[in-house]
Amino acid sequence: MKRILPFIIILVVLGLALGSAWYLTRSTPTTPSVAGQQTSASPTGSQAPAVQQTAANQGVPGAEPAHTRGPANAPVHIEEFGDFECPPCGVFHPILEQMEAEFGDKLQVTFREFPLVPPHQHALAAASAAEAAGLQGKFWEMHKLLYDRQQSWKGQFDVRPVFESYAKEIGLDVDRYNRDVGSDLVQQRIFQDGKRGHSLGVKGTPTVFMNGREVPFEQLPPEQFRVLIQKELAAAGTRR
Amino acid sequence: MKKIYITAALLSLLGLADALYLTVEHLTGETVRCTILSGCSEVLSSRYAVVAGFPLAGIGAAAYFTVFSLATLAVFGYRTAGTLLTPVLSAMFVVSIWLVYLQAFVIREFCQYCLFSAAITSALLLIVVIGRFVLKPASV
Repeated sequence: MKRILPFIIILVVLGLALGSAWYLTRSTPTTPSVAGQQTSASPTGSQAPAVQQTAANQGVPGAEPAHTRGPANAPVHIEEFGDFECPPCGVFHPILEQMEAEFGDKLQVTFREFPLVPPHQHALAAASAAEAAGLQGKFWEMHKLLYDRQQSWKGQFDVRPVFESYAKEIGLDVDRYNRDVGSDLVQQRIFQDGKRGHSLGVKGTPTVFMNGREVPFEQLPPEQFRVLIQKELAAAGTRR
Repeated sequence: MKKIYITAALLSLLGLADALYLTVEHLTGETVRCTILSGCSEVLSSRYAVVAGFPLAGIGAAAYFTVFSLATLAVFGYRTAGTLLTPVLSAMFVVSIWLVYLQAFVIREFCQYCLFSAAITSALLLIVVIGRFVLKPASV
C-alpha cells in the first residue's frame, strides 16, 4: 500500500486541479443581460459628434448625451466601456472600426468612459481630453487619436501637452479645450459613465455589450465578433 | 530530507493554485482585460504570455504539478524523484528570473500573481538546495 500511496495522492491532486480548472472555466459568466438598449434618434455618419439620448432599461443612465455614432434604428447596438490607456482597449479599437466599416448603418456604437485609476496613471486625463473634445463636437476624432497613439503617450510623465497638441491637430479651440478639460462638466460625465458601468457589473475594460448582452471577452477578436454581429442581424431579421 | 520534501510538496501546491488561477483567467479572458487591480492585464496580454500557442500560466501549472509529484514520490523514498527536483526547479528558477526581467524592463508592468509564482519557485529551489547540499540528510 505504501508503494502506491504517493501515486494515489498525485492522481487525486491532478484530478482536483483539472476538475477545478474545468469548473471555473465553465462557470465564468458569459452573457448576462444587463446593458441598456438604445431608444433615441440619432444623427448619422462617423464624423458626427453624434451625441444623443440613450435610455437604460437596466443599470443607471450614463452621461447624457452619450457619444454615439450610427443610426438609432440600427439593428445592432454596441456599448463599449473603455479606458484609453488600456492596451486591450487599444487592440479592440481597430476591430470595432473594422466592424463599423463592414456593417455600416446596421451598427450603432456608444462609447462609455471607464478610466481605471489605478493602475493607469493617465487614463483619467485621457478621458477628460476626449470629453473636452466632445464638448466641441469632436469626441470621436480625439477618441481615435488617443487609441491610435496610445503607445506614444502612455509612458510619458506629463501627457497634458501631448493631448493639447492633439486638440490643435483636430482643430479644437485650444483655449476652450484647456478650460473644459478640468471642468466639473467633464468630470461629471466621466463619473456618470463610470457609475453606469458599475451598475452593470463592469469590472474591467474593454467591456462590450451588444443589444443589451455582455459580449464575453474571448469573443472580441474580429472573427468571433463578426459572427456575433451576424447572429444579431439574423435574429433582428427574423423578428421583423 | 522528508520534512524538506513535504514542505516542497506543500509549496508547490501553492504555486499550482496560483498558476491554475492564471490559466483559467487567461482562458476566460479575464486577466487579459484591464482591471483596477494591477498591471496583470499588461503582462498577460503581452506576447510573452503565450508560448507556441499555450498560455505560459498553463505551462507553469504543469511545472508545479511535476514538482509536486517529484516531491511526493521523494517523501515516500523514491530517491530518483528527489534527485530530479533540483534540475527541474533550477530550470523553473531561470525561467522565473527571465519573466521578472521582462516585467521590469520590457513590459514595465508587474503582475502580482506572476511575482508570487517567482517567489514560490525561488523558495522551492532554496529549500531543496539547502536540504540536499547544506544540511546532512540524516539530520533533517
